[in-house]
Amino acid sequence: MDNIREKLSRCFALAFPKLDPSQYATASAQNMSEWDSIAQLTLLTLIGEEFGREIDFEEFEGATSFEALERALQVQ
Amino acid sequence: MRLAEALRAIGQLAGERKMSVHLLCGCMPLHLGTFIHAHLALRFADTYIDLRTGLFGDLEGNLQRAYQNGGDGAIVVIEWSDLDPRLGFRASAGWRNETLDDIVAQVHDKSRSLDARLLELSKKMPVAVAAPSIELPPMSYLPPSQAGHFELRLNAILAGFLERMAGHDGIRLVSGATLAMASPPNTRHDVRMDLHAGFPYTLPHADALAEASVQCLFPSPPKKGIITDLDQTLWNGILGDVGVDGVSWSLEGKSQAHALYQQVLASLADSGILVAVASKNDPDLVNAALQRPDILLPPSQIFPIEVSWGVKSEAVGRVFETWNIGADSVVFVDDSPMELAEVAEKYPGIECLRFPPDDPAAVVALLWQLRARFGKNEVLEEDRLRLNSIRASAAPRQENAAGTAADFLSRIEAKVTLEAAGADPRAFELVNKTNQFNLNGARYTEVEWKALSRRPGAFLATISYEDRFGPLGRIAVLGGYKENDLCYVDVWVMSCRAFSRQIEFQSVRQLFEKTGAFEIRFRFKPTDRNGPLRSFFARFFPTGSSVEGELHLRSDDFERLCPPLFHQVHDQWTISEKN
Repeated sequence: MDNIREKLSRCFALAFPKLDPSQYATASAQNMSEWDSIAQLTLLTLIGEEFGREIDFEEFEGATSFEALERALQVQ
Repeated sequence: MRLAEALRAIGQLAGERKMSVHLLCGCMPLHLGTFIHAHLALRFADTYIDLRTGLFGDLEGNLQRAYQNGGDGAIVVIEWSDLDPRLGFRASAGWRNETLDDIVAQVHDKSRSLDARLLELSKKMPVAVAAPSIELPPMSYLPPSQAGHFELRLNAILAGFLERMAGHDGIRLVSGATLAMASPPNTRHDVRMDLHAGFPYTLPHADALAEASVQCLFPSPPKKGIITDLDQTLWNGILGDVGVDGVSWSLEGKSQAHALYQQVLASLADSGILVAVASKNDPDLVNAALQRPDILLPPSQIFPIEVSWGVKSEAVGRVFETWNIGADSVVFVDDSPMELAEVAEKYPGIECLRFPPDDPAAVVALLWQLRARFGKNEVLEEDRLRLNSIRASAAPRQENAAGTAADFLSRIEAKVTLEAAGADPRAFELVNKTNQFNLNGARYTEVEWKALSRRPGAFLATISYEDRFGPLGRIAVLGGYKENDLCYVDVWVMSCRAFSRQIEFQSVRQLFEKTGAFEIRFRFKPTDRNGPLRSFFARFFPTGSSVEGELHLRSDDFERLCPPLFHQVHDQWTISEKN
């Protein structure tokens, strides 16, 4: 689990370079204006690279927060 | 490059210099934009780059808006769907047989209107165009193994369009062949992403397309010289063992790879690249071998030829001395890993490439590498003169050894010609590749370069030189602007081939005379490489030529400290009064 969080944090650092790492855990598309559909695609592609997986974009469509992404990655 | 690496490279963008570059396409720019941004960041390390993208599905409109907004360059990525949406994978307008003719007509018309837009844009900024890199959809009734009329007509229209574009100044085409080497066609299309988000490229293809496009738009300055070994490199065999007739470079001798290498070297020499030999060998045998009538790289194209039994790096050092250029502008090719390592250790900046004599495929890869290092957009008159002028420079050095420099210079019938640089591509080339005699090391994009001449009071001159040893061509550029009685110089470079002829002094004298200024203010910046320029300034500013700043030189001080000059001056330079 820690490993997933660490990797996901690395993706967030690249997709949202202005976001303070202490805010990753509560970050979501609802509270971040820069988290738009383009950022979501970039983030999912980074996750694909970081976790070495092919990401099904439709499957992750609703995963628009750090927490939701972490949960989805734990399930897979 | 992975997407994460690209984002890291973009994250490190910084610098006082700013550039804006357009990515113009009809698809979602998404990761292609990220990779282009990253490759631009790597290409221009000290520059903040603003990458501008346009609207989805509106390539022509994007071209128009880029023209209106201006910028330092544009990368235009065309896909079949930009020529007719029915040729994409996101449209559902029908692939019925009766629509095929209409699609061909539409592609023809669209390519014509893109012509006009691209031509218009190229007047404002350099443009790199990438042709469709995603395959056509399975819309023809023919089996895929068979090329049909529909597909061939589309490709003919595309080829005609690209050929027309290639004929325009300011438009460069991304090489499809080079792109195919880095990104095989069947690995390019990400269908899922295309349908989901309108972004058609796999990540590796987006990276390859981005890299090729950036290199096409802003090519790296070419290297200046190549030093080659002989045995098992320029030819097959050990000359000392098999003799002059025993070495070979032919199909019959099973040594065609060496013939290919010789042909590339001869072609590079034709385009002004310096070619030298550094070989451990018997000089008489080498001379005889190079005189063979079947040689493809004749000795007239090689200078100097350093042949001895000494250490290889010493021979390479003598070549540098003759050429008077830095190691980082030179490629050294040898079959021996030991020799390559020895030279690389002595000259860390030099690029050492191994000639693999037993692997023809690797030789061809090496030849492509050489083309990449030495490729240039055009071959100028100076490229033709370069080798002869270096050869001729060796003669003055020997003659000069007998008397004083002034006495020697008074006898060589030197002529200096000043001309307005205007749109001379040689001036732009010189400014962006000269390191040693360079006022401040500044490099310019084409757009920045044109803007310099539009400043109030601006002047920009090229300086040509010849003496009784032959012409050097246009070897210096001097630019700046005049304001009241002051003249500001922020561009001043001179080719290293022109050193020791006091052309720099004559240039300053002419600038004083031409502008009527009582003081010239040089915008100077020391760099790792501009020692020769600093040595010149040390004469006038004994304590102030090592830190960045403005150096003020009054005309009376200049004349007091200037050595006697013997050039005949041909002044064809008019500073425009309207400025």
